[in-house]
Amino acid sequence: MDRRDFLTTAGAGVAAALNCRCETAFGEGETTASLLNVLWDKAPCRYCGTGCGVEVAVKDNKVVAVRGDEKSPVNKGLLCAKGYHLPLMLYGSDRLTHPLRRDADGKLTKISWDEALDLIASKYQEALDQHGPQAVSIYGSGQWTIFDGYAANKWIKGGMKSNNIDPNARLCMASAVMGFMTQFQSDEPMGCYDDLDIADDFILWGNNMAEMHPVLFSRMLENKRRNPQVRIVDIGTRWTPTSDYADLYIQIKPGTDLALANGILHELLRTDQIDHGFIQENLVFKRGIEDLKEIGYGCYDDQAASYKFKDKAQESSLNELREFLADYTPEKVSDITGVSRASIQALAMMYGNRQKNTVSMWCMGVNQHVRGTWMNNLLNDIHLITGKISRPGNNPFSLTGQPSACGTAREVGTLSNRLPADMVVNNPEHRAKAEEIWKLEPGTINPQPGLHTVDLFRSLARGGDDDVKVMWIQVTNPWVTLPNLHRFERRPGDGRFIIVSDIYPTPTTEVADLVLPSAAWVEREGMFGNTERRTQHWNKMVDPPGEAREDAWQIMQVAKRMNLGHLFPWADDDDWHQKMFEEYRSFTLGHGKDLASYENLKQARGLRWPVVDGRETRYRYAAGHDPYVKKKQGVHFYKAKDNGEKAAFWLRPYHPPAEVPDNDYPFWLCTGRVLEHWHTGSMTRRVAQLHQAMPEAYVELNRADAMVLNVADGDRVKISSRRGELVLPAKIDHRGKPPRGSVFVPFFDESVLINELTLDAMDNISKEPDYKKCAVKVEKA
Amino acid sequence: MNRQPHFLTAALCVFVLAASGCSRSDLPTPSEITATAVRSARRAYDGAPPVVPHPPQKAACITCHTQTGQQVPNMGFAAANPHQGSRHAGATQNCRQCHVFKTTEASFVASAFEGIPQRISKAPRAFPGAPPMIPHPELMRENCTACHSGPSARPDIRCTHTERTNCRQCHLFQQPTETFPSPDLAQSRNLRG
Repeated sequence: MDRRDFLTTAGAGVAAALNCRCETAFGEGETTASLLNVLWDKAPCRYCGTGCGVEVAVKDNKVVAVRGDEKSPVNKGLLCAKGYHLPLMLYGSDRLTHPLRRDADGKLTKISWDEALDLIASKYQEALDQHGPQAVSIYGSGQWTIFDGYAANKWIKGGMKSNNIDPNARLCMASAVMGFMTQFQSDEPMGCYDDLDIADDFILWGNNMAEMHPVLFSRMLENKRRNPQVRIVDIGTRWTPTSDYADLYIQIKPGTDLALANGILHELLRTDQIDHGFIQENLVFKRGIEDLKEIGYGCYDDQAASYKFKDKAQESSLNELREFLADYTPEKVSDITGVSRASIQALAMMYGNRQKNTVSMWCMGVNQHVRGTWMNNLLNDIHLITGKISRPGNNPFSLTGQPSACGTAREVGTLSNRLPADMVVNNPEHRAKAEEIWKLEPGTINPQPGLHTVDLFRSLARGGDDDVKVMWIQVTNPWVTLPNLHRFERRPGDGRFIIVSDIYPTPTTEVADLVLPSAAWVEREGMFGNTERRTQHWNKMVDPPGEAREDAWQIMQVAKRMNLGHLFPWADDDDWHQKMFEEYRSFTLGHGKDLASYENLKQARGLRWPVVDGRETRYRYAAGHDPYVKKKQGVHFYKAKDNGEKAAFWLRPYHPPAEVPDNDYPFWLCTGRVLEHWHTGSMTRRVAQLHQAMPEAYVELNRADAMVLNVADGDRVKISSRRGELVLPAKIDHRGKPPRGSVFVPFFDESVLINELTLDAMDNISKEPDYKKCAVKVEKA
Repeated sequence: MNRQPHFLTAALCVFVLAASGCSRSDLPTPSEITATAVRSARRAYDGAPPVVPHPPQKAACITCHTQTGQQVPNMGFAAANPHQGSRHAGATQNCRQCHVFKTTEASFVASAFEGIPQRISKAPRAFPGAPPMIPHPELMRENCTACHSGPSARPDIRCTHTERTNCRQCHLFQQPTETFPSPDLAQSRNLRG
């Protein structure tokens, strides 16, 4: 029975069922016209890392509606404005439907898939033959499905012997990855969303959850409504819609969160609100390189070629921590951060109070930070030293921005140094294991990590003999999102070849030599992994438009044309998704990263790994929850083999931001997102309701600053940094209210590229750029 | 703004009349058609949350959108909050999570989306004379009277007996017959279609 037959039969069944029950009042027309042929199937939402469940209505090979999936444990039936308008994202009138090649006059002309795939294969082969593996690259995405990321990773690392693959997730959660890796030797949170329902105190660090993770925010508000003792603390550099709901808003000077976290640790130790038993049993102390000059910030001007700083660990101790924290008295911390001593002490009391369950949550404020890994370390440290970790209601919880930053970028390991399931390319045992599963000759995988995102694009822009010559960009829009964007302008005839797979034209397809049309979301089978380690599968429900094809298919076709077909030994018309997933799953089994079986994932509303014997894990490392923990009670950080299976507490100092306002550029600039649009807006701006709600970017100004500048609400304002300038309408006292001396601009609007102004300073360990802090000048335009 | 409802009214008339093979008493009245067109103009498809049809106000949404709704000077009747009593009530504090304002008529690009159309509801009954069943999910529509009574209730779904407050004593949820829970669907369907 094919799909069409089934739809018809099902529809007839519905009609029959309704007709026999409602002879009089229910019009037949109603039944046949509206209900027939509408089928519902489950999928995760396409947008953020929350991973809400939606039910998708399909009629006549088109998506006609969605509704929140009441069976999904993530959102329990609720969505946000973006989620409720999901189907419209597929039907913008400018969908890419055919492969397009840029001809000599710069115009895009339709070509066949065969021509396109042959061309890509020949460009990669030519770069490999003439320049070697460092000349080829893939720039992918935390929106890649698991299948796409796995195909890309295997092709470049196992086929082309290059590690130049990095996802846009490097711009997003790399600092969280390095936080978890340096402390637990295994990526991703120990806690889960269940904590939102049961914790007493929520401490949000630089995180506008009401707009960026609205469904999770609502889940927390519902907890607070039922349990009035629940407290929400919002630590931020500007007043946001999240602050509206907070019990306590703590305004902090940009970049000084490191000092605040150390101030909290100082108070916890001074008042002895630490868990000595837990420390004894589960922690080791470490510190790394702390010299500001030695570390630097990796800005283009500092270290033009690349940023390769490597941290070096040394043993430390609780006593050394006490000495180290002597610099972080409430008085000193208050001077640095602008946070009152009372607030510092209040935060320490919240974390130290053993009667209360405490969750810390953070996202881009902590991750997009020149010392983002350090800040992740300090937040994990606070939970470690108080023993508030791996226990229901007590966890540090890093939120993710993209739907599969966890599932694909982090778990499949599509980063320049990683392999699936927490493995890395510079470990011989890990390479051997990957070579065994991938059935490759020993020694195939390159032991040298590839270039991280910013270095990858710097190399592409530089164009020397050893630089990147070919880049394939999938599911992302770097010509909107890279920091200090002017650095990456393309000149005609630069000898590089850039391929872009996407669903709509973007500023990135504008610079591409070849544009490929991709299948989106439910136009293909897929899997995403969300913030709480939940892997979610969806079926293909409708056909993609025109000749659009899924990204994994595109990669496998090129691999076959490069005589690398052995990497993907599954017939095209075969059910290769399942076979590919089963191969990938074998990386995860037995390592505490165990994914559920394909069959289970098809049925379930997602499952949280490790899934052992079909049972998911809510709390990693926790006795009674995590099947890898054999203890009767407490926790066991069994992944941290290098530290005797103990977690590492890192001593991390405060360093100032890379660029600080001065007389010439007296304002802080912070960039970020808005509720209505998802990242660069290439999907959500094509949804009329969302575009009409939020049609253009703006600059949020403080009212007092606006008065001094003689700017009224809605006036046009010029903002400029040392790198570029823009004119934007001012918004004064709208949803966000920055303090005096700082402005905020969202980055969704491709017609005003705020990243032409941002600084390409990076985290020293994760190499994630800091989009939250640079200096600008503000004038009336 | 004015043109769209008229167009939709006409389109809906044609749709309803052409599609319905029902008896004369089931024909929608003009006021039903108008109300459905207004509803349609504010939603991307049947079931999507409505966009806010007025500019942002200084007051919190629930100041006017109370449990019963109320007349607001110079603005008209503020519809009641249908989410009162929801198990997601916490979320209903954050109205703008789902309801967006319309600040422009312009589109970024045109859209080819055609969603599930707004229907003029004639809820099913077990037999003639039986109380009509509830044809929609309960979630986020827990406060029945918000939509079924008062000035903002559409004529086709207006309740005739609002003095009785225990709605679900008589009105049962219709089994969602158009729904195929996905596990079954996944099993019974050729997915490669």
